[in-house]
Amino acid sequence: MNKYTLSKRQVVNELSTFYSFLAGFLIALIIGSVILLIQDKSPIDTFSLMFKLSIGSVNSLSSSLNKATPLILAGLGIAIINTVKLWNIGAEGQIFMGAIGVNLIYINFQLTSSTSFIFLLLVSAFVGGAICILIPAVAKVLFGVNEIITTLLTNYIVIGLTIYLVNGPWKDPGSLNFPAAAYVGKEVYLPTIFGKLSYGFLICIFFTAFAHYLKNSSVFGYEMRIAGGSEMTAIYAGINAKQKAFFAMLIGGGFAGLAGGIELLSQTHRVSTGISQGFGYTAIIVAAITGMRPTGIFLVGSLFGALSIGGSVIQTIGVSTYIADIIQVSTLFGALVIQFFFNYQLKRADDG
Amino acid sequence: MSNKFLETKNVSKTFGKIKALDDVNFNLYKGKIHGLLGENGAGKSSLMNVLSGIYQPEKGSIYLDGQKEKILSPDIASRLGIGMVHQEFRLVESFSIKDNLTLSKSNIYKDNFLKSFKKYSEIFALNVNENEIISDLSVGEKQKIEIMKLIFNDSNIMLLDEPTAVLTPQETSQLKNSLVTLAQEDMKTIVLITHKLKEIKEFTEIVSVMKNGKMVAKDLPTKDVTDNQLIELMMGAVKTSTVDKDNKIGQIKLNVENINFIDEVSNIKKLEEINFHVKSGEILGLAGVSGNGQVELANIISGIEKIFEGKIIINNKDVSNKGVRSRKKLNLSYIPENRLGVGLAPGVSVIDNSIVRDYFHTKLGPHLSKNKTSNLLESLIKQFSIKAPNPKAEISTLSGGNMQKLLMGRELVGDPDVIIASQPTRGLDVNAVDAIHNLLIDQRNKGSAIFLISEDLDELFKLSHRLLVIFEGKIVKSFNTTDANINDVGLAMAGASE
Repeated sequence: MNKYTLSKRQVVNELSTFYSFLAGFLIALIIGSVILLIQDKSPIDTFSLMFKLSIGSVNSLSSSLNKATPLILAGLGIAIINTVKLWNIGAEGQIFMGAIGVNLIYINFQLTSSTSFIFLLLVSAFVGGAICILIPAVAKVLFGVNEIITTLLTNYIVIGLTIYLVNGPWKDPGSLNFPAAAYVGKEVYLPTIFGKLSYGFLICIFFTAFAHYLKNSSVFGYEMRIAGGSEMTAIYAGINAKQKAFFAMLIGGGFAGLAGGIELLSQTHRVSTGISQGFGYTAIIVAAITGMRPTGIFLVGSLFGALSIGGSVIQTIGVSTYIADIIQVSTLFGALVIQFFFNYQLKRADDG
Repeated sequence: MSNKFLETKNVSKTFGKIKALDDVNFNLYKGKIHGLLGENGAGKSSLMNVLSGIYQPEKGSIYLDGQKEKILSPDIASRLGIGMVHQEFRLVESFSIKDNLTLSKSNIYKDNFLKSFKKYSEIFALNVNENEIISDLSVGEKQKIEIMKLIFNDSNIMLLDEPTAVLTPQETSQLKNSLVTLAQEDMKTIVLITHKLKEIKEFTEIVSVMKNGKMVAKDLPTKDVTDNQLIELMMGAVKTSTVDKDNKIGQIKLNVENINFIDEVSNIKKLEEINFHVKSGEILGLAGVSGNGQVELANIISGIEKIFEGKIIINNKDVSNKGVRSRKKLNLSYIPENRLGVGLAPGVSVIDNSIVRDYFHTKLGPHLSKNKTSNLLESLIKQFSIKAPNPKAEISTLSGGNMQKLLMGRELVGDPDVIIASQPTRGLDVNAVDAIHNLLIDQRNKGSAIFLISEDLDELFKLSHRLLVIFEGKIVKSFNTTDANINDVGLAMAGASE
């Protein structure tokens, strides 16, 4: 009988996450093709149509990148929180809270300069996201309550809050029976750079660089890494591990809140339950595929944005939109499996 | 003596290059309490694991009641009536006492559970309801349930691995009474693994001693052997290598005054009236078996443990209320006993781990200078000849020796005034041990005051000028290593009274 054991590799290729992602994406395309073939559709036609309609023109590329913006920002937030080895499943709720924060400030304040008003609104989006994760963060730090559960639960609370607001105090009479808040004025719309591409994407680039710096080159990032590796080592080094976890969670929540604010100011222009289409959950996939690397999140987030746009237009040829979801999720599965074999190797067990 | 109830013949077990058990012959007699004595790593636990079916010996045979048996799994051991209480309890914390006691299929008291639970509760002086949840019990109570579990599973041979380590003195004498009752009334055969001579004397009738995987003495009647004989058997011939100790000794660098410490969770007094000082150029050894308060003491000196009575003075500054950082600024270095987990953060890269002590010196505002940190690591690797080819690799990819060299190097590179080195060579191979010893001696010669916590008497005699012995949280003796007798130190470590 041959026995095999798994052992951790001493040296892991630095680009292994990237290779795993490529392999995972390939596997996902194959799975997608099989499903298309079962439905008697041509994979080549479908994928080339998706490609054309998502990045084939300036306009479609802009749509894709606009779609990618909330994914990337929320994914970055998840990655920052994961530096202390905690999981944020609550990005979805934080996105909604960001949008709620924007609307709250918008209807209560008015600044003459629209640039500084937009800036204030984006700050309130960030703060909204941070407030959303405040209770899970306090519960984690003071009582050790599992943040996976609490951040997940806040999603339901915040979505409930949104439904209440858009049916009650914020309900726009003009929207007839559709529950939504009133549109914000055109003066606070995020401008576009070219085509349909929103300034939100520029903000997103900036925050990618910021997250990269924070995680990899700052003292705070270093302290987060040590605190995430071992709380005892942190205490030994004089690092307040709980404090690092707390601030990491607030910052990460703020990133997702910002995603919601940008989505409101550049896409939906009003608060409704349609602010996020599961961006907060897809962001978890994006962050996980890339091994929590900000630059990777930027690239994979962009690809997933394009996939969503591509997926939404192939309905016209009678293919379900869900093919895009299948490809996204299969990419994660494929990438995780391949990554596993980068990290571990199968060895035949020696006798004794 | 009566007939052998259990007998092992020439049992051997190796792990890699290490012979954990080397032709071990061991006997147990029905209805007796046996002591098994030996230093850490002598092979006591390995032997118990063989008897309880966790390890399979490569060689040798086991006879139960004259019958040759192969104990291939814990399940078979349990069917043969052999049960073990490990140091870490194996209870289902979220289950009730009753559920835990009746969990096993070999349970014999399912039908009249209450009656037998009452009977044994009396024997163990246990005062809890059978429906209480395990996680609500105290450590002492949990242990009673663990031992009771063996009885309920019809174990006639009960192996107890250092059962008193977690108990208060009152609980210990209570345990003794319970075990004596079990041996006399239920004819249970009991094995007690311990480091403490006092317990061997009080608990057991027969004692066996192991050393380096060998059974060096067996079936000694406890009442006929002296503490001195046991210690000599346990320690064997210690090679008395030593280093030149005529270096220059200077001012007092570390002063520890009247330290008292009570562990909050267990409410057990872990340290009592600890007083000592260490001078520049001096190595003060602290001898003791693990778990006698050494970790707590080191944590108090380094600033990790903040709630205690007494004073810590470093370089004439009272730092009792100061945190880890300010003690580091007074140039204190701490090499913790738990290498990976405290000294080094698992899951984090080599380079990140190499700057844990001084990372705040390498920063420019909020920015961590990549150049400075990698220069620091490079010089550490060169100066302390560490084998760490990839700075970005995870720390646990290094060998134990290289991990310890990185940790020591990191803590020593700033020529600290005070060094606390806790079990610095535990688990390392001979070459790494030598390298670590040389580092400490170099540092001593540069004028550091070194507080060396170890349970390796070789190491303590070789390196230290003076030696304190800690037992149950108290400094019970102090020695000058130049004229001390190693057996006297061993006796004090094992808690022998004068």
